[in-house]
Amino acid sequence: MAQMPALVPKEVEIQRLKKIWLIIIAMGSVAASVEVDNFVDGSLHQTSIRDSAFTPAHWWLYSHFVALPLGWGMVAIYDRRVPILRGPNNSMNTGLKMTILGYLATMFTIGINEMWHFWFVEEIFAVPNHWMFNMGVVVAFIGALAYVVRVYARLIELGAETPGENPYIAEMYKMALEGKLYSRSIP
Amino acid sequence: MTLPRGFGTGGASGEGSADVERMIGRRVEHMGGLITLSYIAAWLATFGGTAAGYFYYPWAYPTNSGHFAFIVLTIIESIGYLFCMKVTQEGSRVSTNGLIAGTMGIIAILTVLISTFVGF
Repeated sequence: MAQMPALVPKEVEIQRLKKIWLIIIAMGSVAASVEVDNFVDGSLHQTSIRDSAFTPAHWWLYSHFVALPLGWGMVAIYDRRVPILRGPNNSMNTGLKMTILGYLATMFTIGINEMWHFWFVEEIFAVPNHWMFNMGVVVAFIGALAYVVRVYARLIELGAETPGENPYIAEMYKMALEGKLYSRSIP
Repeated sequence: MTLPRGFGTGGASGEGSADVERMIGRRVEHMGGLITLSYIAAWLATFGGTAAGYFYYPWAYPTNSGHFAFIVLTIIESIGYLFCMKVTQEGSRVSTNGLIAGTMGIIAILTVLISTFVGF
């Protein structure tokens, strides 16, 4: 497995990676929760069509679109303390960029969605204003997955986590550590 | 190893253990109390959110479906709590299995009681 240069003491890096990991677990729980609300909100709209922006199902749904970008924003700020997680040209990690851009698209769509429902009323899952909600979330989840794999692979390299026993999974971690999981140029 | 400005002795002898501790700050294995309180707060907020549904909007949110969401979310939060506590304590001598089991057990019992008696 490739050995990355240590720019901070190992113990410091492990502690910082674990603090990032804690936020990631919290964000994972929040994301799991919004999946539940998809059904709650969906079942409400099956019966009452478009009610109001201010229903408990919408508070639940929209509060995620605030909580998740804020949480990943916290990760992006703290992430600067772990040199190995930097992206190309010392920029933000590519996975984090995708995550934050995905949620920004989602937040932007909240406004678009309200305008659509103000003028066109009907609440149907496949209307165009909902497309960007879903695409934004998918982009964010893909970026988050790339980032999570990167953090976990580094924890393995530092000896703080046990690598996967499945050889295919182990190979994936190895490729992530070498910056080859998605592309040779995008770490 | 190069340390950030303000740490170490100017490059002559590298970092000392005091410098490392100062860079780490609060260790994750000592965050168990904070994580436990956050878990309890999240669970209370979940109860508040679902209760708002079936107390104020009973026409749209039947109590049973509110309790279903409450139970599912409690499970999600409990898994997250367990992961957080285990991630922070692995590889260290700190072990609070009693705290984890006690907290999750009490919350499980309260969840069942709330789902059985509240809101009907």
